Amino acid sequence: MIIAKSLKKSFGDFHAVNGIDLEVKKGECFGLLGPNGAGKSTFINMTYGTVRRTGGELTVFGFDPNTQSRDIKGRLGVVTQDNALDESLTVLENMQIYCAFIGVPKHERTKRINDLLEYMNLAHKRDALIQTLSGGMKRRLVFVRALLGKPELLILDEPTTGLDPAVRHLLWGKVRELHQNGTTIVLTTHYMHEAEVLCDRLVILNQGNVAAEGSPQKMIHDHAPGYVGIFNLPDADKIKKIISTSDAYVFHEDTSGVYLRTQALSNLTAFHSDHGLLPLQIRPSNLEDVFLKLTGKELSIDA
Amino acid sequence: MLDSLKLCMHITRRNWIVYKKDLIANISPTVADPALVLVSLGLGLGSFITNVEGMTYMQFLAPGLTVATALFTSFFESSYGFYVRMTFENVYKAMLTTPIGVKEVVLGEMIWVGLKGAVMAVGVAIVLALFGLMVNPWLIPALASVGFLVALPCGAMGLLSSAMVNNMNQFQTVYSFLIAPLYFLSGIFFPISQMATPVRIVAEFFPLIHGVRLAQALFWQRGIGEAFLYSGSILVIQSVILCIFAYYKIKKKLIA
Repeated sequence: MIIAKSLKKSFGDFHAVNGIDLEVKKGECFGLLGPNGAGKSTFINMTYGTVRRTGGELTVFGFDPNTQSRDIKGRLGVVTQDNALDESLTVLENMQIYCAFIGVPKHERTKRINDLLEYMNLAHKRDALIQTLSGGMKRRLVFVRALLGKPELLILDEPTTGLDPAVRHLLWGKVRELHQNGTTIVLTTHYMHEAEVLCDRLVILNQGNVAAEGSPQKMIHDHAPGYVGIFNLPDADKIKKIISTSDAYVFHEDTSGVYLRTQALSNLTAFHSDHGLLPLQIRPSNLEDVFLKLTGKELSIDA
Repeated sequence: MLDSLKLCMHITRRNWIVYKKDLIANISPTVADPALVLVSLGLGLGSFITNVEGMTYMQFLAPGLTVATALFTSFFESSYGFYVRMTFENVYKAMLTTPIGVKEVVLGEMIWVGLKGAVMAVGVAIVLALFGLMVNPWLIPALASVGFLVALPCGAMGLLSSAMVNNMNQFQTVYSFLIAPLYFLSGIFFPISQMATPVRIVAEFFPLIHGVRLAQALFWQRGIGEAFLYSGSILVIQSVILCIFAYYKIKKKLIA
């Protein structure tokens, strides 16, 4: 559905997207993962033509977004990073305006809006002003807006940033349902866990380049298998000394703590039994560790 | 083409739906300002001026006020109004994810300010006609076209400034050096022939001066045909040129 070849976007001297190759296939949930400034949103905006590429090739549904954006935009729905709802209007009024924009026939509008509000648990807010809604409700309404046109491709640009866990889980459930019903989904996020939970396949972007590609499980298996123990920072020197004679550990230290990754869980529990060092946390390795390994940086640090 | 026009009208309609939510606040300046000018200048200052081109000062002032209304309503809508929608409310960011493109955004906004200018001009003209300041009140509907034709170039100037300012404060500069001169030097308050020659030559390029001529022709019922032929055409040409400029400038803002 989306094919990018050596895709580039520069703003002056700054290369936001620096020659990436990727393909999003019909029916999959594809993730773009990376820190702020990695090029995620630039890529997303290029797919429907609000950012024009400066090099390489890009097609969406076989159309070129630079010249045929209307053909593309008629078939996709976007959960934009900013809600951009009309605060002084009601939920219904907002959605009716968008129905007009995307060409939903007049007689179908009310039913479609009602159905989607129901789906997103917002039916009771149909006549409420946007300014009276909570952040989570607004976000759900942006989902409704993106789904009004029954899109083949749903783009979610940081859909859960700033939301509480309850709303986040609700939205994840909805995304899964849409995915199961055959909607192709492209998701950008800087939450590792979100990508791991939702995506069939993903790329990790870093400074405009693809740092890794594959399914979450494969990525973890290939790049950072095993378990991670997180220790108190003051224990760093002790730990370094203990592991200096072994090559079973991958050591990383930053302001938040000491990270030790190793194949066997027993390697970590041994720290407690043999050396009296109790880890703050022991967990299976995840995409965060993949990113750390590939870039040497924590994902959450702003670029 | 037809689809595109439909989308423009949807944008116009969207603005109307938002506008009417706060109708009183939105409409007050356009109604109150000309009324104040009419009372203070027309009645106050006018009592010292008994004859301007063979009429009372009130009669002279009236047509210009309808046009000034179209100027202010269109400029403020497409400067502050548009800028807020673009920068703070991100309205267009969301719109551009739908089949709407920048062309539709600009044209939709222009139709909106044009219609607003038309309605406001007619509204003010009705009030002025009630004061007996219009020779033939049956010509009031024709003032809609004048309001529309003035609002287009002035609205396009607003869009252009929206694309060029770095923050909202800078609209004040645009107001002081562009809009205020238009207002004061376009023959609303005194006959154009009274202005110094260099000012007169420059003012001839102002859209407003042509709007004033059209309104005067209608209010005083004289030379209507010629006015529309000359000033009307100039306004159309100015609108087209300024809209095209505005389109390219806004496009740079909305498409990276």
